[in-house]
Amino acid sequence: MALSQSQPAGRITISQKAVATIAAQAALRSYGIVGMASRSLAEGIVQALARDPRHGVEVSQRDGQVHIDLYVVIEYGTRVTSVSSSVAHTVRYQVERSLGMPIGDVNVHVQDLHISFTE
Amino acid sequence: MTYLMARVDPADRERLAERFRQIDGPMLRALAEAGLTWLRTNQQLVNSLNVFPVPDGDTGTNMTLTMQAALEEASESGEASVGRMAKAIAHGALMGARGNSGVILSQLWRGLARGLDDLATMDAAALARALDAARETAYKGVVQPVEGTILTVAKDVARAGLEAASTPGATNLDVLEAVVATADESVERTPELLPVLREAGVVDSGGKGLFFIFEGMLRTVYGLALNEPLLEVKPISQLQLEQTAEAIEPGQDWEVIVDFQPSADLDIPAFYRQLGEMGTSIQVGEGDGLYRMHIHVPDRTEFQPVEYVRTLGTITNVRIENLMLQMPGSAQAPSKPPLRLATPSPGQIAVVAVSPGDGLSRVFGSLGVAGVIDGGQTMNPSTQQILEAVEQLPTDKVIVLPNNKNVVLSACQAVELTGKQLAVVPSHTGPQGIAAMLALDPDGDLQSVAAAMESSMQAVRTIELTVATRTAKVDGVAVEVGQTIGLLDDTLVAAGQDLSSVLQQTFEKAGAGSAELATLYYGEALPLPEVHQLAAQLLSRWPALQVEIHAGGQPHYPIIASIE
Repeated sequence: MALSQSQPAGRITISQKAVATIAAQAALRSYGIVGMASRSLAEGIVQALARDPRHGVEVSQRDGQVHIDLYVVIEYGTRVTSVSSSVAHTVRYQVERSLGMPIGDVNVHVQDLHISFTE
Repeated sequence: MTYLMARVDPADRERLAERFRQIDGPMLRALAEAGLTWLRTNQQLVNSLNVFPVPDGDTGTNMTLTMQAALEEASESGEASVGRMAKAIAHGALMGARGNSGVILSQLWRGLARGLDDLATMDAAALARALDAARETAYKGVVQPVEGTILTVAKDVARAGLEAASTPGATNLDVLEAVVATADESVERTPELLPVLREAGVVDSGGKGLFFIFEGMLRTVYGLALNEPLLEVKPISQLQLEQTAEAIEPGQDWEVIVDFQPSADLDIPAFYRQLGEMGTSIQVGEGDGLYRMHIHVPDRTEFQPVEYVRTLGTITNVRIENLMLQMPGSAQAPSKPPLRLATPSPGQIAVVAVSPGDGLSRVFGSLGVAGVIDGGQTMNPSTQQILEAVEQLPTDKVIVLPNNKNVVLSACQAVELTGKQLAVVPSHTGPQGIAAMLALDPDGDLQSVAAAMESSMQAVRTIELTVATRTAKVDGVAVEVGQTIGLLDDTLVAAGQDLSSVLQQTFEKAGAGSAELATLYYGEALPLPEVHQLAAQLLSRWPALQVEIHAGGQPHYPIIASIE
């Protein structure tokens, strides 16, 4: 499935993969996010540093709008609510700026915390 | 920074260095409190540096609230050891971290506490190690650190701390002085590392906030006041030079703005003092070594500030404006024709246009627009305003013309929120909106009429002339503050001192040689005779062109034009 916009020159389509890449890059630059996680944590595999540029991002379309789900790993010892709302704002801002259109929900799922230091 | 050290007598400094040779828990808390107080004093300045329009973006407020939470926790702990006190502060910061900058600040405190471990007191070496641990911890919190931010300042500060502490006999005061001086320089360098700061003409807000925390600590060691903000020198782009007539009081008869390059370092407090004796509403801005001074002075003293600034360096530009003429009841503008709007019948398509000026609004009205929202480059209407204009029309089929690229998004959001059938024709400029209106068929199908309007819009190119508000390089064109700039379809193509030559250059770029019709909408500040002169110059250069002139009434843009 892809987003599409009618333009006088023709139709422009933006794939969900492209949206996911923008979102993932924005998330990884956001402070407190130390990695993206698989949705299925049950498998017990959390890749702290994903090689797939879209790892940990799901893009869906409902009611004609794009919704983004982020599966993140947060640095242990930071305030999880602040980091989460920060990453949601950053991703929304970057994606909307890149696409030039508003998007629907940005949901943040904190899958794990990463411990750099033991105190 | 040197201004701070210069205020302390060397003998006093010796005594202070001795007093702070070992820092224990209560001393650390006192320092942190001073950092918070000084940050709070300068909170608005830090807030003003925001470049991202993100909702939780007031960095100064976020950092202040985070520090406040940190100190609340610390004040309840009676810890005598510096290590335990640092842990209490770090815990409070973590619990109260607000926004991105607050989270990073809490990580810095956490790292500092980790570096101090369970030390009872800290000396210079321990302080430097702790600052380095703060840096390390802060960098652990992000996968792809963005340089030119508070992180960079923390890194530079850590390096400076280690270096200062490595000198034999170094004291905590030596380290703190090095830290403040380095933070100051590091903040000033952030625009070199982060393009978005450079483009906005600001330094990083989080870095600046961290600088104020350190500087507050040093000020309290020196015994300097923490409750008066510094006489501020803003980035030139942030001076607010627009004055409304109502705000002018007696004794503010002339507005004088002088741009200059000081021949030596400008002594800011002395500069403010001198200006304070001449007039009021003083503002000072700086960018790339160029200063801009703004003042209101009484009648017959309007040249005094210019004469004074002349003694300080080279004057590059002077603007003197008679504010008495703007007073109510003096020069009355001729009355303007009323705005006439179309009244659509239920079921027909109505158009709502965003318009930057009353003249353009009348043009839209004459073309069949049913609703006009005031707004433009400097005052973008909200989704709510657009929604209200849409809702009050007697039909449920509406097309919105944003006429500004910054309004397109708000208009698109209105589509989601209204119960009516609403389409947005994404016009980026007034002339595009006017061209789109030519394809309006009120009785057609909404989507196909919107599509027809959008393709009609492509037939024009838009030229806009305005004045650069800061020195920058945009779209490959170097622009200096105060210059006239020419935009062709939102791209900067020309810059210069002279309105006429910039207009011609922009027309040239727009392919005026092969165009048939140019329409000039002149701004509220441009006198009509000057407009006629500009039109005559265009005609003599491109004789085949037909030029029409309309009053646009828009602020800030002397000319908006379409060419087709």
